[in-house]
Amino acid sequence: MPIRRFHVPLSLVADPPTSTVSDTELGQALVAGAVWAQAETWNRFAPIVFGMAARALGSEAEAEDVVQEVFYRLLVKAKSLRSPESLRSFVVSFAIRILKWELRKKRTRSWLSFNQPVMLVDIACEALDFESRDLLQKFYAFLARQAPRERLVLSLRYLESMTVEEIAKSMELSESTVKRSLECARKELLRWIETDLGPIGHFEGRRESNGT
Amino acid sequence: MEPDRGERIDPPVLATLTTLAHQNVRPATPEQLRRGWSVVSARFAARQVRQRSLVRLSVAATAFAALVFLALGPLSRYWSQAHPPVSVAMAYEVHGGTVVDGGYLRESGSKGVKLIFAEGSEFLLLPGTRGRLGAVYNNGARIAIEQGAASFQVTPRAHANWLVDVGPFLVTVKGTVFTVSWDAATERFELRLQHGQVSVTGPVAGGAIPLRAGQRLVVNLPKEEITITEQKPEEAWTSSPPTGTGVTTADLPTNDQPSRGFAGQGTAESSVAVMPRTSAKRAWADAAAAGDWDQILADVDRIGAKRSLAEASSEELFALADAARYRGRTALARDALLAERMRYPGTARALDAVFLLGRLEESNLGGIRRAMSRYDEYLTRAPNGTYASEALGRKMIATSRLEGASLAKPVAEEYLLRFPSGTYAGAARALLKTP
Repeated sequence: MPIRRFHVPLSLVADPPTSTVSDTELGQALVAGAVWAQAETWNRFAPIVFGMAARALGSEAEAEDVVQEVFYRLLVKAKSLRSPESLRSFVVSFAIRILKWELRKKRTRSWLSFNQPVMLVDIACEALDFESRDLLQKFYAFLARQAPRERLVLSLRYLESMTVEEIAKSMELSESTVKRSLECARKELLRWIETDLGPIGHFEGRRESNGT
Repeated sequence: MEPDRGERIDPPVLATLTTLAHQNVRPATPEQLRRGWSVVSARFAARQVRQRSLVRLSVAATAFAALVFLALGPLSRYWSQAHPPVSVAMAYEVHGGTVVDGGYLRESGSKGVKLIFAEGSEFLLLPGTRGRLGAVYNNGARIAIEQGAASFQVTPRAHANWLVDVGPFLVTVKGTVFTVSWDAATERFELRLQHGQVSVTGPVAGGAIPLRAGQRLVVNLPKEEITITEQKPEEAWTSSPPTGTGVTTADLPTNDQPSRGFAGQGTAESSVAVMPRTSAKRAWADAAAAGDWDQILADVDRIGAKRSLAEASSEELFALADAARYRGRTALARDALLAERMRYPGTARALDAVFLLGRLEESNLGGIRRAMSRYDEYLTRAPNGTYASEALGRKMIATSRLEGASLAKPVAEEYLLRFPSGTYAGAARALLKTP
C-alpha cells in the first residue's frame, strides 16, 4: 500500500519554561487554552489558595476540596479573564467566592441538621502545646458561629492580613460594607475573648507583652 | 498586620490566635498538590468531552429536526389527500315532508318539500317532485331531482359545495337563485337562473355550460336541442312555478318562444343586425358573455368559417368554439379549438382547447380513444390546470368504457387521491367497488 506523504513543513514547538513565565503571559496562555498554562496556574497558585482555605476553614481536608473546586471553575471560566496581568487577583477572587459559598453551604447544612455538626479542626502542628491547641479549637468554634460574610471578612483581615480595600475588591463589596462587617465581627470577637477566654486571654496578652 | 485607618488596636490575644492559626496550617505537600491536580484535570477533561458530545448531539438533533421538517411537508400533503379531514355536516330542517332511507324526500302535504340549511340556503321541491338528499357536507350538499321541478336559493359563501343532480345533468352551484326541472318521460331539462352563476354538465355537446343571471337553459335530449335564451332576471324568478300549484315540468312558464333546431338556430328573438365585420367580431366577446351564441354563429356564416378562423383573436376563437359547442355544430367547434391551439400555442386558452377537444371527441362515435389521448396530453401539460379534475375524471370514464373497469381502477384511485371531493369522486368509488 503506497504511503501518502504530505508536504507540510513540521516543526517541533516546545512549551516555554514555565518557571520564568510572568503572571501576565501565563494569563494570556490560559485564556488561549494552552494546556501547559493550566498546569502552571495550578502549580503557581494552588499552594496559596490551599493556605488561605485551610486557615479560613480550619481543616486541611476541606481546604483540599475547596482548592479543587476553585481551580476547576477557574479553568472553565478562564476565557472570561479580561486582563491577563491581574491573574493573581482573579484567582484570589475566585477562591474567596468559593470559600464564601462553602461557608454558606456549611451554615445551611447546620440549620437543616437535627444535631449540631461536630466542629472538626485539624490541629496538625505537632509543635503546638495543649493549651494552644485548645485555644485554636475554641477560636474555630467561635468562627463557626459567625455569619459567612463576617467570618470571611474576619479571616481575610486577621489571618490573611488583607487591607479593607483588598477585601472589598475580592469580595465585590463596598469598603463601608466591609468595615461594617469587620466592626461587627470584631465586637463579637472581643466579647468572646472577654467571656470565654478571660483568664487565657489575660495570660496570652501578658505572654505577648513579655515577648515570651 | 498594620491596623487600618480608624481601626482600634486589637487585643494581644488576637495576635496570638492569628499566629497559632498560621502555625497550624502546613504548606500543601507535593502529594496533595499532585492528587489535587489529577482530580481537577480529570474533571475538566470530562467536561470538555461532555461539551463536545453535546455539540455533536445538538448538531445531529438540528439536522434530524430539519430532515423531519422537510419530510413533513410532502407527508402532510399526502396524508391530507389520503385522509380528508372529517367534517361536520351542516344542520338542516325539512318542512312539508321527511327524509327517509336512502335520502329520499317524501312529501307529507301538498305544498312540496322545503329544505332549510343552517347557513341560510333553501331548496324547495315543488309538489309532486321526486328527489333525494344525496349528501350533506359542512360547506354544502348534494341533492338529486329525479322528476319534477325545484327552486334553489343558495347563500354565497367561499368554498361552498352545492351540487344538484337533475336527471343526467349535474348543476354546480355557487351563490345563486335558480329554478330547475327535469321531466324523465320527455327527457327535458330546464334551468332558469335569476342570480349568480351555475355550470351545467351532462350529455350535451362538449364540456360544461356556464350560465349567467337571467339566462334560461332548455335541453331536449331526444331532439338534441340545447337552447339558451335571455330573460329579465325578475321575470325568471317571478315566472318560476309557484308552490302548491301542482304544476309539472312541462308546464313551467316561459317568456320565450319554444326552442328550435339544435344546430345553429337561436330563438325567434335572436336577430343579428348586419354590421361591419370588425365591429361584429368585436361584439363576439359581448355576445358570448350574454349567451347570444346565435349572433356569433350568424356572423361566422356571413363572414365565412375559414376567414373567421384565420382572423379571429384568441378570445374570439374561444367564444366561437363555445357558441358552436352549445349549438351542436361540433365540426365548427373542433376547427375553432384547433385554430386556437395552432395560432396561439403556449397560452392558457390553447391548453384549455386540448381538454375541450377531448370532450368533443368523446361525443363522437368511436372518438373515445382520441379523447383519451387529448386528456392525457392535457394532464401532462397542465397537471394542475383548470380542467385537471375534469380531464382525469373523463379519462377514468373513457378508460372504463373502452378497456373495462379493471384497467380504469388505477385512474380512479389516482382521481380519489388527487380530488377526493371532486365531481367524479362518486363514480371513482363506485368503480373501485366493482369486482
